[in-house]
Amino acid sequence: AFVPHTPRILSLTPDFSTSTLNLKWSDNGSVFAYGLDAFWQIQILRKEAMEKVTQVTYYSKLTHEDIILSWNWTSDMPLECTSHYVKIRCYINVTQFIGPKDWSDWSPVAEVPGKDTEPNGSGVFPQDTVVAVGSDVTICCVHEEGQQIQRMTYGPEIYPMIHLSRRSSAIRVLNASASDTSGTNVVCILSEDEMDGTVLFVGYAPDIPQDLSCETSNFLIIKCTWKPGRPSGLYGTRRTKYSLFERISGKNVSCEVNEMNRERVCGFPVLTDQKTYDFILGVSNPIGQTQSSLLVNLTQRVHPKTPEKLTVSGNSSTSVHLRWFINGSFAEIRLLCQIEISSGHSERKLHNVSMAGRKFSTYTAQLNTLHPYTKYQFRVRCSAADHFWRWSDWSRIEEHTTLEA
Amino acid sequence: MAAADSPSAAFQRRDLCSRGIRLAGKMRSDVIDLLDTYVERQGLDASASVAAAVEGVPVAAAERWDEQTGTQRLLENLAAYRAFRALLAQMLEEQREQLGEADAALGRALAAVLLQVSAFSYHLEELLRLESHGPPSEERAASPPPPHLGLFERKLRGLGVLRELAQWAVRSARDLRQLAKSGPSSSSAPSPPESP
Repeated sequence: AFVPHTPRILSLTPDFSTSTLNLKWSDNGSVFAYGLDAFWQIQILRKEAMEKVTQVTYYSKLTHEDIILSWNWTSDMPLECTSHYVKIRCYINVTQFIGPKDWSDWSPVAEVPGKDTEPNGSGVFPQDTVVAVGSDVTICCVHEEGQQIQRMTYGPEIYPMIHLSRRSSAIRVLNASASDTSGTNVVCILSEDEMDGTVLFVGYAPDIPQDLSCETSNFLIIKCTWKPGRPSGLYGTRRTKYSLFERISGKNVSCEVNEMNRERVCGFPVLTDQKTYDFILGVSNPIGQTQSSLLVNLTQRVHPKTPEKLTVSGNSSTSVHLRWFINGSFAEIRLLCQIEISSGHSERKLHNVSMAGRKFSTYTAQLNTLHPYTKYQFRVRCSAADHFWRWSDWSRIEEHTTLEA
Repeated sequence: MAAADSPSAAFQRRDLCSRGIRLAGKMRSDVIDLLDTYVERQGLDASASVAAAVEGVPVAAAERWDEQTGTQRLLENLAAYRAFRALLAQMLEEQREQLGEADAALGRALAAVLLQVSAFSYHLEELLRLESHGPPSEERAASPPPPHLGLFERKLRGLGVLRELAQWAVRSARDLRQLAKSGPSSSSAPSPPESP
């Protein structure tokens, strides 16, 4: 029968942060004709007893050159918990060979030693990690030689232990539920009252931000707000973080957000000579990321600040002169301001006036056809004249009595 | 050698001691409340053994307590509360880093106890100044850099700090009571432990 050479493992590299093994081997293709089919059986073993965990078949095509093949495998338990082993064998479909063909021998095992083989390797793993609600999580306790684990608890519950080696045992938490703000403690109680532990943070990936809206009140800062959707249940250094990216200018701003507020706010500078803003609100936390986008023409999203320093003057029996200040730079738009006039028991009247916007300026208006010797209350609010978006709040009320006729 | 006790110095010491005893009593009850909140919020077992996690935390139990002079008591107390001030400040910083705004109540309670510990340290410095010794400069008392701990060990360490601080509040009240009775440089016959 045709039996290929035993494959040679070049490297077996662990990534402890993702519990992933990366296997690299040479396909030894130079000794075969171009285009032959090659099958690679890869076996993962684990624990002191080297129990088989899984076996997969990987397919490749030979190219008459020696190609380095690479394959990743993510373990369902932290690689620190116990030693992991990998071996590989191959089957080459040599079409020119008409006799029986067989698998090669298994390669020697490549090993990634667990912490349970290191002298000072004790600890509970994974250390202080974040997982999604609903995950199945394996947590192990690596201890010193001669120590005994009395019990392992996840939160308030004692869990059955899975023996991995003389110095390592694990528990398996299925469908993990959201943890408290300070995380869920996983405690390994050892003999002589010693204990070790870790904290597991079980939360949600960020929700797509809802009701993303951006406006400016002064043409200096654009204020974007949104609703965060479902809370992630992750706080502090693991909290959900937001950043505002503007595609046209390429500018990116990270947002300082208080995770306890229902509504979220982020400020972005108004850029010179740029009216249209193509925003992408990026959202991420250790479990996942998402985004929302919004295209706005800033002149159509003006929400002026409350008019200040309203003064009413006049030495006439039927007219008054109003002055007010608006904090902001409105030179690029026309303003529409509404003056509310009320007196005694008569019905309130609204008087609209529009004017060219200016930079940090005082605005004026004249009201005529008032009644003589009458006490009036005035207040004012403003908005963009051409593309109404939102009124400012009303100014404070100012009183004035017209002169006698 | 401490100056002979003038009547006004003796009165001032007794006054400072009695105010210190009240401060220690208040601090102890607040620390006990904080301990309950801390255990609950950190998901800990109140009876958890913290021995391995409390390196660098001043121990309240004192050998030959009754042989100590008043000055020794004050100096040991001051060193302890300066260390607790650093430990609590570190706990507060870690609490803010880990939980942000999510547990502001625990943060406020921690900050309140930290304030009391600072006030008590200042009080001890006053007592030491009274004996023309003057408190040791702060740098010598600086606490060692915090060991790198996992989050669970930090939780245990915090538990250990608060437990030991509650013990220190009891001891401080006894020390001050002793000082009020016998003056700064004499040691004293043992007296039955009393709660502050």
